[in-house]
Amino acid sequence: MHLSYYQYFQMFSLLMALVCRRGLNYFGLGILIPILVLDNVTETLGNNYKLFTSLFQNHVIFNVYILLSTPLFFYLFASMLGGNMAERRRLRWIALAAELLLLFNFCFVQGWAEFNTFSALFISFINIILSCIVLARLTMRKDDESSLLHDPSFWINSLILLFNLVQLLILGLYKYIVTNHLGISNQNLYLAIMPAANAVYYAGLSGALLLCQLQKNK
Amino acid sequence: MPTAKEQITTTILAVILVLLFFGILFLVMLSYFNFRRRQNAKEKKEMQAAFEEQLHQARLEIQHQTLTHLAQEIHDNVGQILSLAKIQLSSFKEGEAIDFPLLDDARENVARSLQDLRSLSKGLHAGHIRSFNIRQAVDEEVQRISRTGTVLVSVTSEGDEHIFGDDKQLILFRIIQECLNNCLKHAGATNINIGFNWFPTQLRVRVRDDGQGFDAEKTLRLSSGLGLQSILNRARVTGGFGDIRSRPGEGTVVTVQIPYE
Repeated sequence: MHLSYYQYFQMFSLLMALVCRRGLNYFGLGILIPILVLDNVTETLGNNYKLFTSLFQNHVIFNVYILLSTPLFFYLFASMLGGNMAERRRLRWIALAAELLLLFNFCFVQGWAEFNTFSALFISFINIILSCIVLARLTMRKDDESSLLHDPSFWINSLILLFNLVQLLILGLYKYIVTNHLGISNQNLYLAIMPAANAVYYAGLSGALLLCQLQKNK
Repeated sequence: MPTAKEQITTTILAVILVLLFFGILFLVMLSYFNFRRRQNAKEKKEMQAAFEEQLHQARLEIQHQTLTHLAQEIHDNVGQILSLAKIQLSSFKEGEAIDFPLLDDARENVARSLQDLRSLSKGLHAGHIRSFNIRQAVDEEVQRISRTGTVLVSVTSEGDEHIFGDDKQLILFRIIQECLNNCLKHAGATNINIGFNWFPTQLRVRVRDDGQGFDAEKTLRLSSGLGLQSILNRARVTGGFGDIRSRPGEGTVVTVQIPYE
């Protein structure tokens, strides 16, 4: 079984999430555990799909991941936004509409066998917008006592924002990169950048998860 | 020469870096904004605490002053009259003819004492400071000082009087009292003017005396200027400011500006 280096960071963040689950629940971020489980399973399957089948490429695994992770991320953002019922209802409708669009692309436009770049771009865009909204709300909140830097939600959203900024560009140009064999020192550009971005993302996430527990213990 | 592919790769990497730069810049700006916001909130809280402390202090001082005034009044006025009444009544002996004019005199003295006690009691009524507006409180203070006959105090007022917070009025009153006490104790002034200027959003009070004056800047720097510092601090906690100008031989002008809101 092959494990890429960033997967160790990913596994570590899952481990941290399990260890710090009380802290996560305290901040209403318990949904991160299923998200991280899904991330780990997807990446492990995606990197080792040849062990199971040689009929198709691993794109289908990542396409299914996009479909499954989207509602979970919407739930995460809803928890962090902490808005009123009307706002939650609006977000639920947006999540439903987004999920339908992704499903439509998965079934009819790009199909399940091809990597759903439109879906990935769309989700990256949504994540960027929502993380910016959460960050703005965290900054403007009425609680003037606590520092933004001590808030795990700030770090989680910052990581989501930065990761998706990179992902937006790389996934947007995915086909172009693959077709034209763009790369750095004989390595595919996508494979050179995304694992590094993942490693930073999950390392930062582990820190944020630890912060949840530390803040709860305070 | 870089190939077209290399150029595109470099451009993609550059765009990623630019995006990350703007992303990080955005986060830094948010953190800074949050930091400034918390600083402002902290300063506001500290100002509020200082205001409360000054208010508490002002109340204690006024309470102390009132008790001193009460003790003085009872000793010097009511006590004396009642003593006289007692002496007058002691002269009446059983079986002797009654001296009716003396009895009337004694009765009048007792009535005067009662009247004085009533006005003292009225003056001591809880929150009597609050029932006055700043002008009335200052007028009473001026009357009290004028009774000593050592200094001539005048009060002028320009503009339409505004109603503003009792707490601010109390602190302003203490500032004016502090200025008047300084004039009486240290300045050797013969004339004092208290000028009220009622502006649309704030009140300016200027206490001017023709006393011996002092080096204001130097005194404020030294610990001997604690009373003056307290005037400035009190003005600051009300959201306004104070200014003290004086030179040896040129009298003193204390200006306090306090917003109504």
